[in-house]
Amino acid sequence: MSELFAPKRTGVARWLPWALGGAVILVAVLFPFLVDRPRFWLPNIGVRTIWLGIIAMSLVFLNRYVGLLSLAQVTVAGVSAYGVGVMMVTFEQPFVLAALVGLVAGTLAGFLIALIAARTKAIYFLMITLAIGQVFYSWASQAIEVTNARRGLAPVLKPDFGFLNLNDITSFYYFVLVIGILCYVLCRYAASSTFGLTLQGVRDSPDRMRALGYNVNAYRIAATTFAAFIASVGGIVLVLDRAQVDPDVVSLGSTLDVLVVAVIGGVGSLGGVFAGALVLTLLSNFAQNLTDRYMTLTGLVFIIVLLFAPAGLAGIGKQVKGLIARRRTPRHDAPQQDPSADQSAEHAITEGKQQ
Amino acid sequence: MPELALRVDDVSKHFGGLKAMRHVSLTLEAGERISVIGTNGAGKSTLFNCIAGTFPVSSGTIELFGENVTRTSAAQRARRGLARTFQTSRLFEQLTAAENVFIALGGNEFRGGLLRHFRRDTARWDRVARLLDRVGLDGRGPQPVADLSHGEQRQLELAMALALEPKLLMLDEPAAGFSPAERASLVTLLRELPQEISLLLIEHDMDIALAVASRVIVMHDGEKILEGTPDEIRASERVREIYLGGSIDHAA
Ligand SMILES: Nc1ncnc2c1ncn2[C@@H]1O[C@H](COP(=O)(O)OP(=O)(O)OP(=O)(O)O)[C@@H](O)[C@H]1O
Ligand SMILES: [Mg+2]
Repeated sequence: MSELFAPKRTGVARWLPWALGGAVILVAVLFPFLVDRPRFWLPNIGVRTIWLGIIAMSLVFLNRYVGLLSLAQVTVAGVSAYGVGVMMVTFEQPFVLAALVGLVAGTLAGFLIALIAARTKAIYFLMITLAIGQVFYSWASQAIEVTNARRGLAPVLKPDFGFLNLNDITSFYYFVLVIGILCYVLCRYAASSTFGLTLQGVRDSPDRMRALGYNVNAYRIAATTFAAFIASVGGIVLVLDRAQVDPDVVSLGSTLDVLVVAVIGGVGSLGGVFAGALVLTLLSNFAQNLTDRYMTLTGLVFIIVLLFAPAGLAGIGKQVKGLIARRRTPRHDAPQQDPSADQSAEHAITEGKQQ
Repeated sequence: MPELALRVDDVSKHFGGLKAMRHVSLTLEAGERISVIGTNGAGKSTLFNCIAGTFPVSSGTIELFGENVTRTSAAQRARRGLARTFQTSRLFEQLTAAENVFIALGGNEFRGGLLRHFRRDTARWDRVARLLDRVGLDGRGPQPVADLSHGEQRQLELAMALALEPKLLMLDEPAAGFSPAERASLVTLLRELPQEISLLLIEHDMDIALAVASRVIVMHDGEKILEGTPDEIRASERVREIYLGGSIDHAA
């Protein structure tokens, strides 16, 4: 019978990804003991990196596997955060119930956005999701009865579960770390399921999928709803971390932050977002000491990454491999780089294949 | 009266001011094989796209297996038993040949197991392997589409259409870019298709077009100008005129 799969990787290629993943998790677990001032590092760098990463991961999932670039992921996270805020602050409900409401609200918001946007082509999808985000922002800034307008909803108190008190900063960090890992595993699982493979068909050729009998819109909507669920989880961590929710959460600036995180991390890689988020949180915390032009510095880092590592930090490994391979082999038959990593960075914007 | 697989009735298609196809009618009985030939830009692929539902028609009706499908989507027509290939390969570029066929196998029927790891569906992978073998892609399964030759990509197109186990198979220039050996095996494959499958074939290679079909339709400049048996088409002055006047070289 015909061969179907590439032979298992051997040597470095086989263990390096595992070693790298293990090292990252090890450092993340030991993080509270590695830093000099945990009271600063755990919330400002650790927790923030993880929720930024989760929200950016939902964007990367949609881009990498469905070919959709959604700028509404922050909005979805914001809906979820507002859900928690309204339940806990306005209705004084316990956290667990509030979190459930937040998750449902955010996921539902993602589903509705998908209903509106799923039929549109690449650049229009981006514009529509951006527009929806801005509409929500201006609503949140004004709806004083629901969102308390600019002042926002506060305080969103961290719960004490008895066996786990999230007011303890180290406990909170580990709680968030576990959630981050679970979100990553869930995305990887979805991507490697038959559903995930089918999504890649939708990404590469919607016309072909229709000719095969698939309901392309249904798959796009399902994927967008799944991504909204992930973003909603990020929104819940966010609101616990900030202890409040206000329109800043869903501002254009926050949307750009997540986009920058995704691009720096690598829009082709689910795990890369956490590297991107780390870079951004470090910059936003320390750039102020170096220069008062934090945005300028972020922009510079962004451009440098795009210039030298177009597939983001996660694509650097492949780039290095490509360079080595090119050194070793004569120029004319230099092997092709893995196309998936490089292309996907530009995929969503440049390719107008979707209909 | 034999059952009709396809009935195209007075269908026209305009792209803005361009009348790409005008008042075309044809019928295809269940199990019948028809070739559509014609010069470049004659409207053959436009006809296919209208039948398959990729383009909406400008006027006219299309019936599939006795039902009017003029207003239904491409996906609905596929689920009714129509499979088509594209003239310019539309494959899942970032996936392997085997994964392309795997996805093709999932379109027609909603099967559980969407949330299982895709490698676990061994029954489906067995079918993938058989389809790859059948079109001559044995051993090429693990190759990314980008690494396949042009001819191999055409073979993959074919495998994906066959994956649907269609009642009506429409192939748009399946032999483009094939070597003589590959052409020969394509003819064999088409002849060995189960009796009940209807075939609509666009092919520039006259040898293939005439070898597998019992009827041939000639299109020119957006219109159907002739229909007949392969022998009649071979003998036709009109066809010779068009082909010699046109830009196509039909010597295979
Ligand atoms: N999507 C489209 N938009 C605008 N014009 C189109 C489109 N598709 C086809 N056409 C035009 O319609 C006419 C018929 O094209 P069609 O592709 O059907 O020809 P064909 O017979 O398949 O030719 P070939 O042998 O080159 O494949 C051509 O003039 C073509 O430019
Ligand atoms: Mg054509």
